[in-house]
Amino acid sequence: MLKKRLIGVVTVRQGWAVQSFGYRRYLPLGKPEVVVENLDRWGADEILISCIDRSETGQGPDFKLLERIAALGLSTPVIYAGGVRNGADAVQAVNLGADRIQVDAMLWDLPAELELLSRELGNQALIAHLPVSIRDGALYWRNYRNGEECLLDHAALSRMYLEWVSEVMLTDWVHEGTPGAFDEAIPKLFPLEEKPLLLFGGLSASAQLQRVLSLNNVVAAGVGNFLHYKEHAIQQIKRNLVGVPMRAAHYASEER
Amino acid sequence: MSPVTSNQQPGESVACKRCLYKTDHPLGLILDEEGICSGCRIHEEKDRLDWQARWKKLESLVAPYRVASGKTYDCIVPVTGANDSYYIVHLVKERLGLNPLLVTYNKYFNTPLGIRNLANLRIQFNCDILIQNVNPSSVKAITRTTLREFGSIYWPCLAGQTVFPVQTAVRYKIPLIIWGAHQGVEQVGMYSHEHEVEMTRRYRKDHDLMGREADDLLSIFDTLSEDDIWQYRYPDDATLDAVGVRGIYLGNYVRWDPKAQHEAMVEKHQYKGARFARTFDTYDHVDCYNFMDLHDHLKMLKHGYSKVTDHACREIRHGRLTSAQAKSLVQQHEHQPLQHVDKFCEWLGVEQRSLEFILNQHRNPNIWKPMGPGQWERTVLPSEECCNVATVKQEIGFTAHANLDNGEQDRYIIIGKGYPT
Amino acid sequence: MTRRTIGIVDYGVGNHASVLRAFQSLGYRCRVSRDPSVLAECDVLVLPGVGAYPTAMSALTACELVGFLQERARGGQPIIGLCLGMQLLADVSHEHGVTAGLGLIPGEVVPLTTVPWHIGWNTIEVVNGDDLLAPSDQQSVYFNHSYVFRAPEEYQVCVSRLDRSFTVGVRRGKVVGLQFHPEKSQSVGRVMLRNLVEGLTRA
Repeated sequence: MLKKRLIGVVTVRQGWAVQSFGYRRYLPLGKPEVVVENLDRWGADEILISCIDRSETGQGPDFKLLERIAALGLSTPVIYAGGVRNGADAVQAVNLGADRIQVDAMLWDLPAELELLSRELGNQALIAHLPVSIRDGALYWRNYRNGEECLLDHAALSRMYLEWVSEVMLTDWVHEGTPGAFDEAIPKLFPLEEKPLLLFGGLSASAQLQRVLSLNNVVAAGVGNFLHYKEHAIQQIKRNLVGVPMRAAHYASEER
Repeated sequence: MSPVTSNQQPGESVACKRCLYKTDHPLGLILDEEGICSGCRIHEEKDRLDWQARWKKLESLVAPYRVASGKTYDCIVPVTGANDSYYIVHLVKERLGLNPLLVTYNKYFNTPLGIRNLANLRIQFNCDILIQNVNPSSVKAITRTTLREFGSIYWPCLAGQTVFPVQTAVRYKIPLIIWGAHQGVEQVGMYSHEHEVEMTRRYRKDHDLMGREADDLLSIFDTLSEDDIWQYRYPDDATLDAVGVRGIYLGNYVRWDPKAQHEAMVEKHQYKGARFARTFDTYDHVDCYNFMDLHDHLKMLKHGYSKVTDHACREIRHGRLTSAQAKSLVQQHEHQPLQHVDKFCEWLGVEQRSLEFILNQHRNPNIWKPMGPGQWERTVLPSEECCNVATVKQEIGFTAHANLDNGEQDRYIIIGKGYPT
Repeated sequence: MTRRTIGIVDYGVGNHASVLRAFQSLGYRCRVSRDPSVLAECDVLVLPGVGAYPTAMSALTACELVGFLQERARGGQPIIGLCLGMQLLADVSHEHGVTAGLGLIPGEVVPLTTVPWHIGWNTIEVVNGDDLLAPSDQQSVYFNHSYVFRAPEEYQVCVSRLDRSFTVGVRRGKVVGLQFHPEKSQSVGRVMLRNLVEGLTRA
């Protein structure tokens, strides 16, 4: 049976892997390649590499970083996000080793481009990323580049051409980095009930992960900062997720 | 060929408005909207957190690891003849009341003073100690390779110091390892104290080992064989999990202040410090002929700053130095000539001129501009500061008690001889 | 005993680092190439693939590898197709119009019916008693596709299921196709690749 997924999220800013708090504060971690390689060994179900400053600075995807990461020869699927402007960017990212592509800024700037990406890569390879918060009982979608917010209703969603993406990632950007603070109302308020959801932002505790992963429309949860505080963080989370259909924790042993 | 440390363009490095660090710090450094760095911000927690409450957390954390029977050790404590080892053992044994097994990795560059401090440590605290010695042929082969390939003479020391305690935890089935401060937290604020970060293989590879584990040395450089490097391999995940190995940092639960801590240990347990040419701190690193000498010079060549800057930033943050005073001290110390290169050359079996050649190959071109044969100039020179250095030093009060040679022969102590009780 | 050589067909589509590393970590010697003389010397050929079917077939044609692969298959050289590479083994695909495939295993590539895509880790069931894949029965592997290879029953070796089951592994003689990504399925995937290589190269 199809399992739920635990995604290791790696936030990259100016080429450095960082901890990110509320889309505002950052603490340095180190080289993204070392972080990614570590998540691969720990057995994350997918690894999301999220380059948060590419669209803001108009630089396009960090192809050099992708090349270095692909050169590691990972055995875990990689989702790349950050600076994908168009179909050519997306195809190049895949040719450099990404398995799936996530877009955020494109949904504001040029959502119609998604159809082109879908033709080249297939819907299964595309994820739409929406940073969201709740105000007056409704979801608001944030443009992380300028802080502009928009009510996330059917009208707004219809302008995003979401028929060309397979999954939607909702990030509780306000609570990002705050342990256990993810607002569980978020997946319940998302208007498109049929769209599979990935959740991120303040998910740290197993009990909470268990609750959100038990929701029918939630297929994956992403964890970022909290994977860096202890050894075997992915395995510890998996071990404590009782009753959720998920691949078991794996502790690598020497292949020699 | 230096490792890719970031995508930052040359010339973009920006300094913190409070301490002396810049954003090209090798561990990573981030400035906030006010231009204050992540290291300074996390340091502010030292004056904001409830350390009594945090101490209680530590007590609860270690409680399950106490062995009731007393037939084995409660924990492993990695030590050296310097670097807060006395204070760490004091906390573990005298305040937490745990029964530790001390472990130390023999780095070859040992000063007589360091060996004396280590021997005294064992006696003062009445602890058992395990010493790991890796054979000299392997260590020299690795050192030759790491020096040539990425300008490091310290890889075997760092690899040994960080893996030997973990291997010991596995072999003796003692899961808890207790370290002092987390370098990433203390220098660049990599984590909040409240994150209670623990020891990870990821941090070791990225920062202690400059991106290269033992098997990477083997696969990338063809001058080494498996025989040379196997002793530095990290135990695999399955093994660590089976034993339940866990490394904690006292600095997350105790308001860490190395100067104050060392002074307390000087008084209470006769720790001895020494003066260095290249820094004003007299307590750190007295156990090594190279850390404040050739290794420090390499740091300057590769990163454009040296250990005295680390000491200065620490003292600025603790409010014991102003920025101006700190800059004066740095300027006075950072280019002092090396004193122990001859010992290193003799040990490794290289000519000083060959060494010079290799060193120059590792100068960071973003920081050093060639001016002529054998001449380099720093492209970003520190601003001129004008504090009376002697006055500053007197005020800050780092004391020394011996020379590195401790009145004995001035040479590496390869295997420590016994000290009288 | 000589080490087996794996020839990874490089036709300008996708990234080979993970496939390469997977086989290298198993101790095999690997060649990434589009040169027929190099590929012909290898013990096993691996045909990876990602992206759109017509684009991939055009690339293979441009590299003049279509005839070559068909001839090698006829001659009994083992070939493993991965993900899109598995679909390329079929007669035809209906993705973006009709495109001819390599025709090494009968069948057509058609859209998944009741669900639009298959993403994530899912268990596989080995059918028809295939001995090479049997040890991997009930294991979880990573999927990322929206089209499936509809093959006659006698060539099906692996199925997976969402609301209903569908083919995710095909085999005809020494030509094998896997819909999932063993090279992205961590230790489970590596074990499977080793069993395949060893099994296909046994005399």
